[in-house]
Amino acid sequence: MRIHCPYCGERGNDEFSYLGDASVVRPDASAPNAEDAFYAFAYERRNVAGPTQELWYHAAGCHAWLVVTRNTRTHEISDVKPAQDVALARQSPVSSAS
Amino acid sequence: MLQAFVSEGIKPFVDGVVTFGAGHFYISQSDKGGLVFGGDIDGYNSYAQRGNLPVVEDVLEGGMALMPRIGRVRLLRSWGGIMDMSMDGSPIIDRTPIDGLYFNGGWCYGGFKATPASGLCFAHLLARDEPHEVAKAYRLDRFRTGHMIDEKGMGNQPNLH
Repeated sequence: MRIHCPYCGERGNDEFSYLGDASVVRPDASAPNAEDAFYAFAYERRNVAGPTQELWYHAAGCHAWLVVTRNTRTHEISDVKPAQDVALARQSPVSSAS
Repeated sequence: MLQAFVSEGIKPFVDGVVTFGAGHFYISQSDKGGLVFGGDIDGYNSYAQRGNLPVVEDVLEGGMALMPRIGRVRLLRSWGGIMDMSMDGSPIIDRTPIDGLYFNGGWCYGGFKATPASGLCFAHLLARDEPHEVAKAYRLDRFRTGHMIDEKGMGNQPNLH
């Protein structure tokens, strides 16, 4: 499995460390349901069999966090984006959605 | 994902199961003479039933550190299997919120070895509807209540256990 880092190019997956599901978002600690929300944030995952977005860290390279779209059935990687770009895109248009 | 490996058949060499905790490697020999060995998990979510080369290298390095004389033995085959990793690296043996449904799982990569003991505890739970003394802490709701069994203190990432 090789990951195409947007900064360094294609590298072996042993250069990266794995965090997991990139779709989880840290909840609002002041919300009334914060306890339940933080439980889900810390422990509940969907374990997708198929394409999924995950956070990988280029530890032996540029130290960037990446959002990697990877198929867990085949290990095929279809997309890699800097996590910063993904987070900013998530923030800007719908900041009042919650 | 946990990978395992079998070598070509050789004369009797290892007469038990040898585990190498510091290097994460285990080895035994089958009746046909093949060395059966493995080591670390691949450490990312996968249903592909195969692992990747960095862990192959890591396992073989562990083998060479423990038993340099197996270095010229050729690999015959390898495969990968899905590991039911829990968030704290420990199993769950408990009732579930659904009446009559019981759960024994999340054994990570230790399930095969632990089967006799986990079966005894699970049978106790099924028969009496109360947990066995040694399995009381393996609750399904321990993540919710904060009573994780995080033996290595690594936190809630399955690939760290």
